[in-house]
Amino acid sequence: MDIQLKRGLLDVSVLAAIKDEDSYGYKIIKDMKPYMEMSESTLYTILKRLEASKMLTVRTAEHEGRLRKYYHITELGLRRIEEFRDDWMEIMAVYRFITKEDSPNE
Amino acid sequence: MNKEQFLNELRSRLNGLPRAELEERLFFYGEMIDDRVEDGLTEEEAVAGIGTVDEIVDQILEEVPLSALVKEKVRQRRGLKIWEIILIVLGFPVWLPLLISAFAIALSLYVVLWSIMISIWAVDLSLAACAVGGVLSAVWYLVKGNPAAAGFAFGAAVICAGLAVLLFYGCVELTKALIRLTKKMVLGVKAMFIGKET
Repeated sequence: MDIQLKRGLLDVSVLAAIKDEDSYGYKIIKDMKPYMEMSESTLYTILKRLEASKMLTVRTAEHEGRLRKYYHITELGLRRIEEFRDDWMEIMAVYRFITKEDSPNE
Repeated sequence: MNKEQFLNELRSRLNGLPRAELEERLFFYGEMIDDRVEDGLTEEEAVAGIGTVDEIVDQILEEVPLSALVKEKVRQRRGLKIWEIILIVLGFPVWLPLLISAFAIALSLYVVLWSIMISIWAVDLSLAACAVGGVLSAVWYLVKGNPAAAGFAFGAAVICAGLAVLLFYGCVELTKALIRLTKKMVLGVKAMFIGKET
């Protein structure tokens, strides 16, 4: 897959993984696994990028006697997912246009 | 490798990263390992699942801008001993010209590589021009009523065209190789900064 496209998809996928409830690193990777394989280093970079652009916030909480970071989606993050949906509709329209050109019957 | 060995190894390999970022990354990997263990893996398996230290270091090297690494290096250097400073200042007439020449040599080697590249492209372009010229003169000879010369010019044009096409693919591959080399060089320079302090 194209690198730019994949990067955009990964960002939104991570936002989607924390959309319904706050989540932590390992759970995000596990939740995404059926759809997209992602390494820990990649996730770290994405989380930092999303935090810097204020699409999520981080809090540290205790879990089983150790610390764990939880990620919480912001209003901006939710809006990003909405934007993605709109973008995707446009992409699908272009996709239909492209594949139409391919078939000789139409 | 257990968690502690893994994190220690990572810490020493990422010595050149800004302090806060290093701690944050180590915390992140530590948490990942703990969560895997909680999920039923042994510590060894959990560490292995994260990937090798080499892979992680390589990926971080590609992400972190060179400027951040240089800045961190300069910051770390503040703890110089007096005699080290004196030595650096006294040695100034020696190391500065050496440093400049080393840099100049590296730069000229790189420029030479690209110059060779450009000249090969120029050869390719002139071959293509010869092919076009050959065809044109063949037409001209034909009009002039000299079929022998026309045949010769056309043959030459075909040879030039063939060479130009062959060379074109060679050029593309060579240019790609040179770009890859550039990338590697940048990574190498970054690795020099991020590496373990000796």
